[in-house]
Amino acid sequence: MGELVIEQMVNGIIAGSVYALVAAGMTMIFGVLRAINFAHGEYYMLGTFSAWFVITRLDVPYIAAIALAIVITVAIAAVVGRLVMQRLVTAPFQSGVLATLGLSLILQNAIILSFGGTYKIFPGGWLEPVMFLDISLAEQRIVIVAATIVVFMALEFMVRRTRMGKAIRAVSQNTECCQVNGIDVERVVLGTFMLGTGLAALSGVLTGPINVTIYGGMGEAITLKTFAVIVMGGMGNVRGTLLAGWLLGIAESFVAGFIGLQYRDAVGFVILIAILMIRPTGFFSLKARF
Amino acid sequence: MIGQAISRYISPSLAVGILLSVLSSLPALAQSDSTIRVGIVSPNTGAAARYGTFAWRGAQLSRDEINAAGGILGKELELFQGDSQCIPTEGVSALQRMIAQDKVSFVIGDVCSSVTLAMQPIVENAKVLLINAASSNPDITYKAGVDGYKWSFRNYPTDENRASVVLKYAAQQKKITKYAVLSVDSDYGRGAINLTKKYLDEFKVEITSEDYYKDKEADFRPVLAKIRRSGAQAIIMYGLADTTPIVARQMVEAGLAGKVILIGSAEFNNPEAIKAAPTALNGAVEAAAWMPEWDNPRNKAFIDAYRQKYNGETPNVHAYAYWETLSLLAEAAKQAKSTDKDDIRKVLSTITYDGVMGRVSFDDHNQANLPMILFEIVDGKSAIKGTFSTQIKYPSR
Repeated sequence: MGELVIEQMVNGIIAGSVYALVAAGMTMIFGVLRAINFAHGEYYMLGTFSAWFVITRLDVPYIAAIALAIVITVAIAAVVGRLVMQRLVTAPFQSGVLATLGLSLILQNAIILSFGGTYKIFPGGWLEPVMFLDISLAEQRIVIVAATIVVFMALEFMVRRTRMGKAIRAVSQNTECCQVNGIDVERVVLGTFMLGTGLAALSGVLTGPINVTIYGGMGEAITLKTFAVIVMGGMGNVRGTLLAGWLLGIAESFVAGFIGLQYRDAVGFVILIAILMIRPTGFFSLKARF
Repeated sequence: MIGQAISRYISPSLAVGILLSVLSSLPALAQSDSTIRVGIVSPNTGAAARYGTFAWRGAQLSRDEINAAGGILGKELELFQGDSQCIPTEGVSALQRMIAQDKVSFVIGDVCSSVTLAMQPIVENAKVLLINAASSNPDITYKAGVDGYKWSFRNYPTDENRASVVLKYAAQQKKITKYAVLSVDSDYGRGAINLTKKYLDEFKVEITSEDYYKDKEADFRPVLAKIRRSGAQAIIMYGLADTTPIVARQMVEAGLAGKVILIGSAEFNNPEAIKAAPTALNGAVEAAAWMPEWDNPRNKAFIDAYRQKYNGETPNVHAYAYWETLSLLAEAAKQAKSTDKDDIRKVLSTITYDGVMGRVSFDDHNQANLPMILFEIVDGKSAIKGTFSTQIKYPSR
């Protein structure tokens, strides 16, 4: 029993790392735009599909496919950011909801039209099982957790120490003030959007090998879970996002392992409702940042 | 000058007039009785998109064969595609669109039992003939024929006997006593497990855990960890083919491959799944309505024609089922000497048809008496272990 508890915690941290990587970008985009990016899971999907494409059609090795997938996704995001996201700076928040929901449909269906609606098997990855605390795991899962920790350390450094990070924080706190003080808000929005979608793509391409199959609608489920994570972590709070992601992952693993797999997807929503009732600012913020 | 003036005034009105008359004649043309309009409902996107793609290809092949042979009583067959996404509400709206806009008289669909169950009352009201080709939940024909829906037929075996045959084989041939359940959370998955549970005492076996996955689930590690420690020797899975590679590969990773086998039905013989995790699928036992290895001359001709049309791809069970069912519809029309849906419906209930799987006729619940094949994956290949009848003894009313 004790061993099973530890194993489920390990499973939860792995699943949670995937959520956290996707959620980090979504929460930063929310910070600068005050808009929930409902299409965020689609960039996770685009990352996985780009990697699948370059591996199966161009015979690129997996490690290079990781880099290429991020480049391709960020390039698409740059176009979307320039055409849509930058315009949301001055738009009312309803526009953000409509625009990103619309983008989600367009991106999903563009992939279904180009590659068909069937599932594809993702090749590549490091799938050799290794023993860790008497638990048999694919190396890929350890890579995911390690990558997540490195990414969050880098994000923390960027947000605190770099000019770009300071600009992101400034825009998050007060957009008008930034405009008055000569911070190019639109550029900060575009930069944040590209960074956030790049993280989603990284998460997708790292998860591809262990989720085995990929398809056009795969981003939808992750968007919903990510939504629970960013509310739990405190909207716009990067550090809280990692802890919230792990917490959701562990809670899901316990429910799937001890109660039943069919209740797993309910966990995120139950937590979401509970937080909105008890602590709407999230677990890790003293007060709302807006 | 005058001519110019006249043409300036007349030609726009003439153009509008021509346009109007063309437009008004279009629907008339489209709805003329020169073709037989058949709706094909299948999941083309979403979690069961693999099934829908195969189903649609099978139906197209059958249409081309029928039309190349001169159509049905001189009329060409015309297909309309509807995407159910394996979601009942989506299937029903696709069906209603076909009935209202495309004016179909016949519908073949859906793959997913939950969708078919939702479509049955709609076709009954619209008096459109539904021939299901690929759903296995027993309720579909319990509710049809003498006990209900007059316009629903099923040309596919039901799960009624499948559950007991699979369990019997695993218990008696493989000597397995402890089973974990991991099936899809749908009318099909839960229905098959409920039928399995009826036979636990008879074969002296037990179920150690019971889990149902959502159709888009991708992380089975928590459940596999539990199963590994529960001592179960087999996983009963009535699931979706696209999930099989995920579960199989995660079984390899969790150290279950070679120790725990999969039994039930989820296309364990899909070559792509076997390639993704050969050790996990070795020894898997499945009961299916059809398989490519089935020895029958018409089956060989079907597979050859399919491969020729679709770049060498081997058909799956849904391609076969839709292809066969559309051919059955054409045969019924020929025997009825009519393309009227009511005439064809009457012929269907008495027809005897030489299909790939044997001689087919429908019982008083509009259920075809088709056999199922039991097979086991041995070294990456399917080995046929026998066939069994799926004929049902309905409870007396």
